[in-house]
Amino acid sequence: MSELDDDFRRAQSGDPMGFEDWVRKVELPLRKGLRSFARHVDVEAIVQESLLRLWVLRSTLSLKGENASLRYALTVVRNLALQEAKRLQRFVPLPEDPDYSPDPPALPRSDPPPDPILRSAISDCIARLPAQPRNALVARLEGGGAEPDRALAARLHMRVNTFLQNVVRARRHLTECLESRGISIMEMM
Amino acid sequence: MANPESGRDILIERVATAFRERDAEGRVVASPAWWDLAPEDREVTFDLQLLSRCLERAADPKGLSTTARAVLARVKEVGRLE
Repeated sequence: MSELDDDFRRAQSGDPMGFEDWVRKVELPLRKGLRSFARHVDVEAIVQESLLRLWVLRSTLSLKGENASLRYALTVVRNLALQEAKRLQRFVPLPEDPDYSPDPPALPRSDPPPDPILRSAISDCIARLPAQPRNALVARLEGGGAEPDRALAARLHMRVNTFLQNVVRARRHLTECLESRGISIMEMM
Repeated sequence: MANPESGRDILIERVATAFRERDAEGRVVASPAWWDLAPEDREVTFDLQLLSRCLERAADPKGLSTTARAVLARVKEVGRLE
């Protein structure tokens, strides 16, 4: 049984930490598995809704085989994306997915644990950002996806567009800073 | 100083956040700004979302992206309601 299977078993027995460990490992493979749907659905919404459905369904599932929970989760996200795409396009069939593979994509290399050196470099580069972009980016990170940008902007006394401009600037500066240290953002993906 | 951030950059950034509203039944719904994106910009947004989540994971002591944190917060919320 893989570590991923063990995490899912813990989640099935009601352990939220098991689910947290499982989500950390599967999020990126699930997201990458939806690349061919990017023009048809908001992938962020599909990933979140699928993970929530998997939490609700977890105790009813009987999964067998190595990384069976990942394979099942990939089916759930693809089906949900397909349903949503059909709904939005009024049931016009989508072209065949050229990227489809029944095999799950590889789990991320960096899982677990997080890389403390990389984290330190990111933290240092964020600290070096100009104040307004830094404040906007940190607000997004600390918000944890739980608050809309309008709430984060209001807290910083910014208009939403100004807030977003600052996030864009922060990303640009952060990328430059990391690349100046030999860290490629693209390699993280 | 000239402002290099275009309206397109800002629209894409608006969708890059992990925050998503929920409908009356609690289902996660698409960002309203996603509808305003041109098809090719939806692919650019996908890549930016992926990059953002990777950076967030790398920056977080527990290795969690804001997507993961939003989902786990919702799981806790649902647990309290059950």
